[in-house]
Amino acid sequence: MKLMETPHISSILKSIEKPGRYIGGEYNRIMKDVDAVKCRFAFAFPDTYEIGMSNLGVRILYDVLNKDPDVWCERVYAPWTDMLEKMKEYSIPLTTQESGDELGCFDLIGFSLQYELCYTTALAMMKMAGIPIFTKDREESCPIIIGGGPCVYNPEPIADFFDVINVGEGEEVLLEICHLYIDMKERGEYTRAAFLRAASGIEGVYVPSLYDVIYNDDGTIREFVPKYDELPRRIKKRIIEDLDTVSYPEKLVMPYIETVHDRIVLEIYRGCIRGCRFCQAGMVYRPIREKSPEVLSKCARCLYDSTGYDEISLISLSISDYSKLRELTDSLLEWTDEANVSLSLPSLRIDSFSEELMQKVSSVRTGGITFAPEAGTQRLRDVINKNVTEEDLMRSVGIAFRGGKSNVKLYFMNGLPTETEEDIKGIADLAGSVVREYYRMPKEERPRGVGVTISVSCFVPKPFTPFQWEKQDSYETLMEKQEYLKACITDRKKIRYTYHDAKVSRLEAVFARGDRRLAPAIALAVEEGMIFDAWEEYFDYDKWVDIFARCGIDIDFYTTRGFALDEVLPWDIIDCGVTKEFLLRERERAYAEKTTPSCKEHCNGCGANKLGGKNRWCPQWHGKGGDEE
Amino acid sequence: MNNTPINLRIKFKKVGTLQYISHLDLVRTMHKIVTRARLPLWYTEGFNPKPKMVFAAPLSIGTESVCEFMDLRLSERCDTEWAIRSLNENMTDELVVLDAYYPETKHTDLKWLGYTIEIDTLGASADLADRCNAAFLSESIRVNKKAKLGGAEMEIKPLIKSAVAEYRDGRIYLECILSADASAFLNPEYVVKYLKGSVGILSSENLFSEGYSIFRHSAYKGDMSPFA
Ligand code: SF4
Repeated sequence: MKLMETPHISSILKSIEKPGRYIGGEYNRIMKDVDAVKCRFAFAFPDTYEIGMSNLGVRILYDVLNKDPDVWCERVYAPWTDMLEKMKEYSIPLTTQESGDELGCFDLIGFSLQYELCYTTALAMMKMAGIPIFTKDREESCPIIIGGGPCVYNPEPIADFFDVINVGEGEEVLLEICHLYIDMKERGEYTRAAFLRAASGIEGVYVPSLYDVIYNDDGTIREFVPKYDELPRRIKKRIIEDLDTVSYPEKLVMPYIETVHDRIVLEIYRGCIRGCRFCQAGMVYRPIREKSPEVLSKCARCLYDSTGYDEISLISLSISDYSKLRELTDSLLEWTDEANVSLSLPSLRIDSFSEELMQKVSSVRTGGITFAPEAGTQRLRDVINKNVTEEDLMRSVGIAFRGGKSNVKLYFMNGLPTETEEDIKGIADLAGSVVREYYRMPKEERPRGVGVTISVSCFVPKPFTPFQWEKQDSYETLMEKQEYLKACITDRKKIRYTYHDAKVSRLEAVFARGDRRLAPAIALAVEEGMIFDAWEEYFDYDKWVDIFARCGIDIDFYTTRGFALDEVLPWDIIDCGVTKEFLLRERERAYAEKTTPSCKEHCNGCGANKLGGKNRWCPQWHGKGGDEE
Repeated sequence: MNNTPINLRIKFKKVGTLQYISHLDLVRTMHKIVTRARLPLWYTEGFNPKPKMVFAAPLSIGTESVCEFMDLRLSERCDTEWAIRSLNENMTDELVVLDAYYPETKHTDLKWLGYTIEIDTLGASADLADRCNAAFLSESIRVNKKAKLGGAEMEIKPLIKSAVAEYRDGRIYLECILSADASAFLNPEYVVKYLKGSVGILSSENLFSEGYSIFRHSAYKGDMSPFA
């Protein structure tokens, strides 16, 4: 039964928060004739409608899949807990936004896994759809469950739940998977087993059930053993060769209710030239590939016409590194001002913040301003390769103050490798310097009421970073550090201090660095109703500790244990382009407190250039780890 | 460019699943629709210019309507037929422009709104409809303003122009005309609430066994002539 056709559904919708999440029917959504398509794909986002609708990856892939006449891609989001309860009470199944059909009748279901703490929500959605959460329990008629997104760079903790893992950019891979499915069905060759084996031949596809993992006595991994000879030893990440020619949406599904990023989002480039040593995105999205200002400008205009949004957000990992930023903003401003459309930037680097940018971009013009020095001393900033100096920061906040801003937010990380008390105290000192910078201005020129917010998160060692082997500080140590920092802040009036819950970071580390042996714990958590772990109101650390204990899992093994440099890592099965040799080199430089220049200055031989890509900074690939220094 | 704006009145319907969209979200949606439709919009001045639109008697969640009014400020006159077409090309079938014109009335001229409330309650019968009608004849009609008991009570009798219940095909149909005056607006939910309390309709715990829908269908001026 389709949700909206259920008798008296209004009684339920009127009894919950934001019923607009569940009604579908959005302008620009894609409707197709079920009988005219050969493959039905449900794109599942394991978080609320407002968050899922804001995700750029989903917007892109929804568009790409639906441009294929043989495929109909629909969307489904996790119902919030108030609706979830009603769905359980009244046996309402989980259905898609477009057709309102139950998930069970789809051919393929693709989950977008954006952060580790969404795993229970993803599995809960499968359960709601009546789909067994373990691959091994799925019957022939079950949809094929695909996982993709940043989390799958270490797919092992969820390997037992997903039939297929899409490693890397999905535009081409997902269509290839759909067409393999269609072909095998048409030729009468489809069985789940045959399909999964055939799918493992697609570049960028990992079928975890086709590999066995053998462990050493000390609990570390000995090896991955493919079940068949033809299987790849490592799964190479897929990338899109040319971002100027790859399909980008001409229209966007328009939510009726307000979403998190309710605006046009222009993806300027993929990858990052910087290489901060804690940052996973900066490594796994390499090589950098830029879009041309002409293509972007055309695309922006087209999206404005089809959506009516009054804001365009330019996104990428570090917008000011875009080599043609001025051309792009100039060509956009040619028509955006006239049309009352504003430009916004979510990410700004301290060293590139300028008066000019502040003039052009409204999100910088209005509201507070945020910078991310990440560490309190130059020494530690050198360790993490955040090539930003105190001088850069003072220059930037000076511009911001003169531009009329009085509130500055600074992001830092606690628990970084080699961190000492001095580094922590440095955070407080840096904030103090920002306040002093304000008072250095002549009184008449100061904006009123200076306020500096220090926001501190905890370091989580992430796969495919130079810090992937590092141990995470224990919970107690992180708490002590937070307390110490608090004590270092003397000017409580002007400086505000907020910090992330270290327990959340600890759980993130477990999932980020975990292996297949976590599966029973995640399954048990779902069994016991855990969901929305990323939401403060549902995050229950003690319950997780209890669940891990009941499953015989030692959390410290994945968190406070430093991984040996020669250890087989759970994510060694994936080849994201960047080589282990490079990461080890970067790790050494970190301990030597040496920075590494950006790819713009010269290539550091990370290896990602072997993946190809147009409009990039990288040198050609000559069959080894990039051009050495 | 900011010369005196011209007021274009848009009459539209908001039905089906769109009854679950709040007024605030409707306003956001309309902003985008009028932008896409390329109407010659007049923008507010300031840091963040926005098109200006004013709605008469906003709907609450759970009410469908075929007579909604929105005044949109334009920078210049445009052909109304074209405006209707252009707007509808940018809307879905549950949000549709019915008419557009340069109005002679003000929103404050709108005094009464007509509703049909369809009630599917256990024990629906001609007798129950009679009891509803009797309840409306009462001297005083008081409802609790809050969701829970113990809140302030409000007298709504003067805000009800007429209310007639009828039993048909297993359901109770309620025709009523309620105050639309901005200072004394009566949400039809209160009428249902009154009947719940006084006659005992819709009392089941099971949300799937009963239900009601509210449909706004007509608008009147103070002298009960149609508002347009
Ligand atoms: S191959 Fe060289 S230029 Fe390309 S991303 Fe790696 S380090 Fe940077």
